[in-house]
Amino acid sequence: MFGSIKKMFGGKEKEREMILAPLEGKVVPLSEVSDPTFSQEILGKGVAIIPSKGRIVAPADGVLTVMFETKHAVSITTKHGAEIIIHVGLDTVNLKGEHFTSYKNQGDHVKTGDLLLEFDMDAIKEAGYDVITPVIICNTPNYPDMECQTGAEVKELDPIIEL
Amino acid sequence: MREFLYVINDPMGFHARPASQVFMEARKYMSSVEVSSEGELADGKNLLSLMGLGVKEGGVVRFRLEGPDEEEAEAALKAVLKEI
Repeated sequence: MFGSIKKMFGGKEKEREMILAPLEGKVVPLSEVSDPTFSQEILGKGVAIIPSKGRIVAPADGVLTVMFETKHAVSITTKHGAEIIIHVGLDTVNLKGEHFTSYKNQGDHVKTGDLLLEFDMDAIKEAGYDVITPVIICNTPNYPDMECQTGAEVKELDPIIEL
Repeated sequence: MREFLYVINDPMGFHARPASQVFMEARKYMSSVEVSSEGELADGKNLLSLMGLGVKEGGVVRFRLEGPDEEEAEAALKAVLKEI
């Protein structure tokens, strides 16, 4: 499935942008996230990833438009203009940065695959938080044909969203 | 043009949830919604721009609204801010 999409991407539908998985884990629909801000697509459409590894990498080339001080969420504006937010866990803002390590600063230019964040998954779970990580395109209205791939286990930088 | 100030009282600052609530309300109106804090300017109708302000607890945010429905927008935004 991904192969054919890749072929399309490299072929006649060159203008569509591919967003890659910023972390390893199982991709599920946003509707499975138990936080209405995400599940009701208030921030935009996207997917959620149940992490199997505590690492977030850049899903595309672009600028790190937001790196929260609490390091629980980052956003990237890709060089083609997609606005992606990656929110590690639910209500994890309350951890105030504990169990998170950031490797880039707000405003930095990043390349696909650059390490942005590391987080201690077990410690966050032990503190009582769900680690499910929504990956959302904030400017969804710009992409009426956006397609999200869910249900699969992905490695970092496997394709997950086609804009 | 209408202007008002708001002090962030969320101990976590102006993070994803409050920023998204302001953004959702702001985009319902035709008026422009400029949000600024400590010299940095954000578009209230752009979520990343709002979150990028990185306003902390106690930080002052200035809202500047301009357009045909600025009065309604001001009332609506104030109502949202009261809840966050």
